[in-house]
Amino acid sequence: MSWFEKLQNLDRRYIYIVVALCIIIPFTFTFHTNTYTTEPVENIYQLIDSYAGREDRAILLSIEHDPSTSPELQPMEIAIVRHCFERGVKVFFLTFRITASPIIDYVINTTKEEFADIQSGVDYVNFGYKPAALYLPIILGMGDDIAEAVETDSEGRKLNNLEIMKGIKNYNEMNLVVEFSGSSYGFGWITYARSRFGANVAAGITAVMAADTYPYIQSGQLVGVLGGLKGAAEYEKLVDLFAVNQLEFSKEQEKQTFPRINNDDILYKFKTARIGMNAQNVAHVMIIVFILIGNIGYFLERRRKNKQGEGS
Amino acid sequence: MKRQIPLLIVITLGLLFMAHAFIPHKISQDFYNQWYREWVKAVSPFAALLGIYSLINVHVRKIKRKAHNWQYSIATLLGIIVTAVAGFGWGSESGSPSSWIYENIMMPLCATIFALLAFYIASAAYKAFRARSIEATVLLAAAIIVMLGRVALGAAITHWIPDATKWILTVPNLAAKRGIALGVGLGMTATSLKIILGIERTYLGGGD
Repeated sequence: MSWFEKLQNLDRRYIYIVVALCIIIPFTFTFHTNTYTTEPVENIYQLIDSYAGREDRAILLSIEHDPSTSPELQPMEIAIVRHCFERGVKVFFLTFRITASPIIDYVINTTKEEFADIQSGVDYVNFGYKPAALYLPIILGMGDDIAEAVETDSEGRKLNNLEIMKGIKNYNEMNLVVEFSGSSYGFGWITYARSRFGANVAAGITAVMAADTYPYIQSGQLVGVLGGLKGAAEYEKLVDLFAVNQLEFSKEQEKQTFPRINNDDILYKFKTARIGMNAQNVAHVMIIVFILIGNIGYFLERRRKNKQGEGS
Repeated sequence: MKRQIPLLIVITLGLLFMAHAFIPHKISQDFYNQWYREWVKAVSPFAALLGIYSLINVHVRKIKRKAHNWQYSIATLLGIIVTAVAGFGWGSESGSPSSWIYENIMMPLCATIFALLAFYIASAAYKAFRARSIEATVLLAAAIIVMLGRVALGAAITHWIPDATKWILTVPNLAAKRGIALGVGLGMTATSLKIILGIERTYLGGGD
């Protein structure tokens, strides 16, 4: 067997070892890489930031994923919640998936640890799990009256009795819905909340789903998208750069400043996406190298066979 | 009657929902707010019960017949029973058995299955991603540009890579995705109309 044939038929276990090392090493030894933000992420950030300190504005995070996609989606959820807590934006949580209910608790608790003054029912409220059969009635019902459509929060409290609901009636006030999902991109919210009530809709999705959302971004049906770990890393950077320092968004400043992630200035839980992007960086390069080696082997092998054909 | 009554329900409700969606009159709004919203709350638990009954029925029959891979059915049934007992018995609060099952079984299983994807993608990229034709070469070049453009290294090499990535995603990708979405949308509309008008009846079972 020639060297090229060996290369073509490389045992996949060697590939698996290389993949494992390429992912584990960047997580173990954190190094700094620059994260550049993109327009779909900046749009979400700026819209949420425009609600800072307003009694009559709130956002809804509809968390619709299993633990399988948490490594990609949870950092973006934590980043948005942190942004809201830093800037005094009212935030609601909701899920139609029973398996996502503990994820909401985890996101809230992880972020809340660093904010002593944040209170449930005042600064945020978790509507909790609602059966999927009520998906449509709740989405459409919130267009009239959120408190009537959802009725109670995850702790069984009547929404009407909660302080956070003062000044919040329907999508006119809760003017942004961000759906986090591994298999959808806010389609239900676009169809019913956006087209019928004019609610702004954004999506936090896995990287493999990101390509599907571009038609909706262009048409304005989605105000923005957080695509995979990169989207989460971008949002983390914006929060560190502007929200934490109580600054307005500035593209110029964003282009020039890169908060360091390889020291202890930022808590680990608030930079997991950026550290994860290091692993993704190495993994992408490794896959590209694999593709190139595979193709070089393929072409050399084909040329050798062609020559043999000509010779015989 | 067994087929006509369900057909009548589908046609009547289908037309009512169409009217509700397109006619913003008080009657159509009341139909939705005062009737549908309350009904769906009452009906959905029965749908859940039907689903559980169907799942148990399928797996019990599989075990009885010793069908192919019947052992997995035992795991499924045990999963349903244990989770249901834990949930009904102790609730789903943090620290409860249900929460323990979620954190120690569900989460690691989900994470493991999804993490395997990275290994399969890398292996498939090496073994199968070949520039065998012009189309395959274009796909390969686009994949390499987008993969580099999505990580810091791409921008570090040259700003052309992130710019090219953006162009690929917002022009050819967008056009293809929109074409597919329009096709799917038209297909859904046609199928829905066929169901509402009673032309498509396969959902009634037995084929027609």
